[in-house]
Amino acid sequence: MSKWNAPNLIAALDESKGLTDKGYTFLDRDQKELFLSWDGLRAEAMKRAAHFRKYGLKKGDRVAMVLPDGEDFVPTFLGAVWAGLVPVPLYPPLSMGKLDSYRDTMVAVLTKAEPTYLVTLSKMQQVLWAGLTHVKSLKGVITAEELKAPAPEGVSQDPAQVSDDDLAFLQFTSGSTSTPKGVAVTHGNLRANAWAIMVDGLKSDSETDHGVSWLPLYHDMGLIGFVIAPLFHKVQVTFIPTMSFVRSATLWFETIHRVRGTITFAPNFAYALATKRTKPEQLARWDLSCVKAFGCGAEPINSGTMRTFVETLSKAKLNPNALLPCYGMAEATLAISFIGMDETLSTDVIETDAYQKHRTAEPVHLTRLAEGKAQEVVNCGKTFPGHEVGIFDDEGKRLADRRIGEIQVRGPSIAKGYFRDPDATERTFGGGWLKTGDLGYLANGNLYIVGRKKDLIIINGRNYDPQRLEWLVDEMAGVRKGSSVAFSKPGAASEELIIVLEARTSSQTELEALKEAVKQRIVEQMQLTPADVVVCPVGSLPKTSSGKLQRSKTRQQYLDGTVGKEGNRTIGSNAEKVVLARHVAMSLLGRSRHRARRVVEHALEVRTVTDAVGKLRLASDYFSNRLTRLF
Amino acid sequence: MATVHIPTLFQQAALEVSGKKLDNLTGATVISKLGLDSVAVMELVAHFEEKLNIRMPDEDLAKVQTVADLGGLVKRLMPSGSEVTW
Repeated sequence: MSKWNAPNLIAALDESKGLTDKGYTFLDRDQKELFLSWDGLRAEAMKRAAHFRKYGLKKGDRVAMVLPDGEDFVPTFLGAVWAGLVPVPLYPPLSMGKLDSYRDTMVAVLTKAEPTYLVTLSKMQQVLWAGLTHVKSLKGVITAEELKAPAPEGVSQDPAQVSDDDLAFLQFTSGSTSTPKGVAVTHGNLRANAWAIMVDGLKSDSETDHGVSWLPLYHDMGLIGFVIAPLFHKVQVTFIPTMSFVRSATLWFETIHRVRGTITFAPNFAYALATKRTKPEQLARWDLSCVKAFGCGAEPINSGTMRTFVETLSKAKLNPNALLPCYGMAEATLAISFIGMDETLSTDVIETDAYQKHRTAEPVHLTRLAEGKAQEVVNCGKTFPGHEVGIFDDEGKRLADRRIGEIQVRGPSIAKGYFRDPDATERTFGGGWLKTGDLGYLANGNLYIVGRKKDLIIINGRNYDPQRLEWLVDEMAGVRKGSSVAFSKPGAASEELIIVLEARTSSQTELEALKEAVKQRIVEQMQLTPADVVVCPVGSLPKTSSGKLQRSKTRQQYLDGTVGKEGNRTIGSNAEKVVLARHVAMSLLGRSRHRARRVVEHALEVRTVTDAVGKLRLASDYFSNRLTRLF
Repeated sequence: MATVHIPTLFQQAALEVSGKKLDNLTGATVISKLGLDSVAVMELVAHFEEKLNIRMPDEDLAKVQTVADLGGLVKRLMPSGSEVTW
């Protein structure tokens, strides 16, 4: 039982009064530290609340925030909450990116959120404001610098009175720029999820624990996981600027080593990147035995990446049990399930045939993987007390253990809905369960995620995960990595499979040969014949602004006959970095899905199935050896 | 005095961070159309900063669209007398 049990975030901040020994430390790009104690954070929040009130802002008013640095973001966010306002965190513009498309997204989000003011840095003001003047609700910009000034006289600094049902902030998660959706997170949600994460999940201790995070603060994992939940339970955190991590990924481990960090979280890609950049000299020097939770979520968890990480960092005294696969999404505030603190990465090997034909997860021996007859799924653990996970079929019938269906969740962490969007709210939150849109199954209370529901291709009664098909195509010579799309269209007897990909081809002969090769490979590997293969010029398939291929848009273009004809898109390259782009590159788009699923063939270093199988064997040998030693 | 040719440095940086060979870069080349993802771009920025011993502020980088824009920014940040061309 945590000794910290504040009823809401404002109360959690208020009980910080007089606590001066611990708090948040913000590193800047030059590694200089700014320390704000719990007491200092409270004072900074109160000051900013007074500034907001001076602008006439009242309880429930929205305030948009574009603040890249933690030392501005955190006190401003907390100041808005202290005044009863509803902050709307947004991502900053990309370096050398397309400013006009950034502004388009901003306008769509702001039009939905209807904020009264935008808070940003004075130097960013000019970049942003030009495109935002026609957002009707916006009265103007408040600069972060103004908010830092001493509190205005004669304005109340008292905390707002809030109830559990009051909105705490809006988390935008849209997968499409034209219809952004803001998750309406209440004060009750924040308390419940903070408890789930810090107490039920991490068993945190405010005396000994120390979080380390480089995650963007406008993303739910960074904001809920490292600002809000630790404040509720008074766990100190050191924040690394996201851009510093991108520039030098090992700074993450270096900082953990230096401050003796115990808790950190990141998506799969970050583990791959930081492991890859780690040098032997660092491994010899670091002592990461202090870490009790290396959380991994926010995107499909690749067991290969995880094993490489554990193996490499074990040289820096990493405890393999520290690895903590988890599952969650913004619609559930953040966390849905964690594996236990004393457990390590574990996976389930299930038979592909049964999955595809009968939607069941039948455990089979690991050797079936090498034969291509099985797939590996990461265990994402159990949900938290007071929460419930159910698996449902398309008719809404609840399924038994090891039956695959849509993952649905209910409990006090589930958000109220999407802000001012009753239709989308009904679709996703209706009936008392949050429909995650992810497919998975339960086994002994543990949750396994196998894919996304809406992208599922069903041909002749068999289910195919499009990503699996796309990986097969991606591996082929001549195909641009991360640029193939698989989807289905209605055919005469059943749905038909269509593959669209990007490649550089110089002649018609080459093009035809590539199409033929793709068909052949899909037939060989999946016993499925694509009805059509379309080869497009490099850079012509639609991607989101964060570099993720848009399957549904590609499908629509295919049906309209316009695929590959829409000029060059702007971002994109190989698959591994597309994922990175999605999460770090200030994307609104990828942030909604904290999902994990098996991605065995997709290990970052793996280019062929044979290679994957080889690595898997090594990994499984490694793990069985290690487990034998443990028990 | 330092002499910097932006397209050449850009090509070297792109090759180093993403293994991409970029040809025919001119001042008018729009950087977001080069097929570099946003992380590669950040790594590229880091490469420039390290090589030239400068710091490029985020808000200035947000406004950079072309190779010439980048050249202008680098020129502004380099010690006076440095020759920056593109």
